[in-house]
Amino acid sequence: MATSAEGITTQDPIQGIGCSRKRKEDPRFVQGKGNYVDDVKMTGMVYADIVRSPYAHARIKSINKEKALAVPGVHAVLTADDLKPLKLHWMPTLAGDVQAVLADEKVHMQYQEVAVVIADSRYIAADAVDLVEVEYEPLPVLVDPHKALEPDAPILREDTVGKDNVGQGPRKHPNHIFSWEVGDASATERAFDTAEVSVAQEMYYPRVHPSPLETCGCVASFDKARGHLTVYITSQAPHVVRTVVSLLSGLPESKIRIISPDIGGGFGNKVGIYPGYVTAIVASIVLGRPVKWVEDRMEHLSTTAWARDYWMSGELAADKEGHIKGLRVKVLADHGAFNSHAQPTKWPAGLFSIVTGSYDIPTAYVKVDGVYTNKSPGGVAYRCSFRVTEAVYLIERMMDVLAQKLGMDKAEIRRRNFVKKEQFPYDTALGWQLDSGDYHTALEKVLDAVDYAGLRKEQAEKRAQGELMGIGLVTFTEIVGAGPSKACDILGVGMFDSAEIRVHPTGSVIARMGTITQGQGHQTTYAQIIATELGLPSEDIQIEEGDTDTAPYGLGTYGSRSTPVGGAATAVAARKIHAKAQKIAAHLLEVSENDLEWEVDRFKVKGLPGQEKTMKEIAWAAYNDVPEGMEMGLEAVDYYDPPNFTYPFGVYLCVVDIDKYTGQVHVRRFYALDDCGTRINPMIIEGQIHGGLNEGFAVAMGQELPYDEDGNLMGNTFMDYFIPTFVETPYWETDYTVTPSPHHPLGAKGVAESPHVGSIPCFTSAIVDAFAHLGITHMNMPHNAYRVWKQIHELGLDKRG
Amino acid sequence: MHVNLDKTFPIEVPLNSAWKFLQDIPGVASCMPGAEITEVVDDRHYKGAVKAKLGPATMAFNGDIEVKGMDAAKHELQLLGRGQDTKGSSSAEMDLTAQLVETGSNACELKGSAVVTVNGKAASLGGRMMTQVADQILNQFGKNFTAHVLATQEGDAAAASEAQERLAEQPKELNGLAFAWSVIVGFFRSLFGAKSSSN
Repeated sequence: MATSAEGITTQDPIQGIGCSRKRKEDPRFVQGKGNYVDDVKMTGMVYADIVRSPYAHARIKSINKEKALAVPGVHAVLTADDLKPLKLHWMPTLAGDVQAVLADEKVHMQYQEVAVVIADSRYIAADAVDLVEVEYEPLPVLVDPHKALEPDAPILREDTVGKDNVGQGPRKHPNHIFSWEVGDASATERAFDTAEVSVAQEMYYPRVHPSPLETCGCVASFDKARGHLTVYITSQAPHVVRTVVSLLSGLPESKIRIISPDIGGGFGNKVGIYPGYVTAIVASIVLGRPVKWVEDRMEHLSTTAWARDYWMSGELAADKEGHIKGLRVKVLADHGAFNSHAQPTKWPAGLFSIVTGSYDIPTAYVKVDGVYTNKSPGGVAYRCSFRVTEAVYLIERMMDVLAQKLGMDKAEIRRRNFVKKEQFPYDTALGWQLDSGDYHTALEKVLDAVDYAGLRKEQAEKRAQGELMGIGLVTFTEIVGAGPSKACDILGVGMFDSAEIRVHPTGSVIARMGTITQGQGHQTTYAQIIATELGLPSEDIQIEEGDTDTAPYGLGTYGSRSTPVGGAATAVAARKIHAKAQKIAAHLLEVSENDLEWEVDRFKVKGLPGQEKTMKEIAWAAYNDVPEGMEMGLEAVDYYDPPNFTYPFGVYLCVVDIDKYTGQVHVRRFYALDDCGTRINPMIIEGQIHGGLNEGFAVAMGQELPYDEDGNLMGNTFMDYFIPTFVETPYWETDYTVTPSPHHPLGAKGVAESPHVGSIPCFTSAIVDAFAHLGITHMNMPHNAYRVWKQIHELGLDKRG
Repeated sequence: MHVNLDKTFPIEVPLNSAWKFLQDIPGVASCMPGAEITEVVDDRHYKGAVKAKLGPATMAFNGDIEVKGMDAAKHELQLLGRGQDTKGSSSAEMDLTAQLVETGSNACELKGSAVVTVNGKAASLGGRMMTQVADQILNQFGKNFTAHVLATQEGDAAAASEAQERLAEQPKELNGLAFAWSVIVGFFRSLFGAKSSSN
């Protein structure tokens, strides 16, 4: 097993790429000196709290604010009628739909925002919320997406009736949002018609919520005298928020300042714009006072962006030797009451078409249908790049199902179908170009490390004794780093990212990026990139993000895009500075640029020992002695539009033992090998992988947001919603290979989402494997003890004696 | 979420005495722990309130009660109660059918069948206890109903005063702590296969 000691070189004064430098963020966090949105206090600040619907679907007959307004300390109670004159009672979503800011005549989901109370304290606001009297007339509720398109289904979105397009192409029913197809349907059909073997499997990927430690919130402060709006906000994309706020409010972007301070985890949940933010901003503009809105945990789990909720059916066609000939996938996507999921505009199902995985599949076809239901709106979020988790889950499950049908080992079926090392760059049947990979090497490394043959032997013995042991295997390929602007935009803005680096005369550096860290450690790793590129110590490099008044425009941090896009911009900007520094060095040393060579932190004259200038010396000279005609200073900006996504991959193996009387799953071993190309800070990568595996474990083993038949959300507290602690979490073994990305300036790929995407199907693979000899091909998540026990009980394995 | 409940309570009084009481809607409502009729709209429509205390939280439901049916031949009453908690975060509905069946010259049975629906926070937070809690509510209703009938019946003065005492001891609101205990007891009884008590 690999250790994380790799790259720790305390003597290295630069602490650049490859160094396990300690996180620069941590001293302030462990001392309680972080500065989160809820820490922001402003003079004259008032507080917002929201009146929410107990019904999943109802007409609002009346709203009586009188009792609430009579409470001392209450400043205002706003409803949709108050926002109407400002045209802010509805807002556009990133997916081309609209979402009610405050319910307009109707509620479409439980906990929907109905009114907002502004008061002197959070407590007064909460008390007044209880006094707002709302009269509802309950309507029939639609919970099951399979029933959404039936002729007699209740129509949810009366505002969209008659519209044949709600932002993502033609639709065929008032509850239908879009149909999205990719691939060659007829060629795929032919592959199935002529196939020697084919398999099919239905599976449900439950609705789950990222539930970061910090819930969502903001402090909006409108300065009436200056006409200037400042908003502290829990956002993974502050620049996009500024653009949206400008479009909604009519204020110029130059008069809006959005600040994402320290963010307590995002995982995709903090990309969207929520009604709470909008109401706080409106309230601040109306009252001319700072307004704070911070949601509680129930509000967070009930209304903010969740992930998945995909009903998937997969089919594989193959020959008798297991070589895949075709893949067909159909998905029913439950998007809830509003199509508000955050994703690049052109991709109604995100990057789901990465579903061909790590395999050389000649032909494929995917169809996804999105529908409205009376549930909270959202989608996409949760530590993965736009629906990649669902895609990887499907193909990895299907590989196991095909192996089972052929009586082949699940490692062997993968070996036979992998895209080979020499095939890269590889064009998939669904239109992606995988940049680099070496899947066979990674697989064999893991199988050797865990003694796979030995595990299979042990499993055979256990099965003979009637015990349940399962081995899971996943060989995934991710697609991260959105993205090339020709393919990806948000509200029409290309998904580039940016870096602005300034070297001060003494050789210290300030650098600002368009991304925003939420725990990924950007302040540490970006500094390492600059340190290596410029030969200046990481310790002296200050990284700032999240303030739209100072940072260059960028699309933010989600979908593992910071290293692939922001990291690339940082490297390219640093190289611009490096090139200028070389000119200054040549000037100072009175030689031609071409006579210089670079070594760690200095330019040396080739063949003349001692004739050299360090970057520190050059920085000083940049402010007083530059070549004639050159402008002074040492700084650069880069807006990086990536030529392609990056495609990190990994091989995960999991061993479980299952108690056949309780259904309890014990994860005996979990081995995770990741390849993210060039490794910038191995310790941070290790930490990100641990985090992703923990969240993968959470999703596979317990997380879900279940609704009852009336649309009541039954899992929106931590009594029900599973957050694993160190008590439940298994021990993780990590390993790596390095296959650099050919198009990234550093050869680096994104990584933090791989462990989430890769581990979830690995747990399912292991648990199903424990029952595979009894003919079971799939079990839906979450694999909690009760559900596993039900499977055991159905098979009659729990009979004693 | 919905819970379906069916209960039978034996009552040691003649059918007619019990039927007389069953037609007294405010009287019947007062048998529901924590419930009272606050306004009589007409003989089929009433306004009522239910107060429930669960630990530190008090939920107060205000709502409408409608007499859907009163069948003298079958000795059957159908009631629909529908309310919203005063904080606006939950709502509840109870569709109740109560029927009296003669089991002897001086005895009858009250057969109660109810569908209880809860929405909002009460469902999210209390969903997993709903069946047990509703079960206990109906048990309490049965006890109170029996006591009321006994207390108001003519003839057996001793039994009547004893029943009146029992009624006086009844808590005036739905007390969650007492409920929690009976719910726990009920849970363990069902766990060990014992028949849960029905009166």
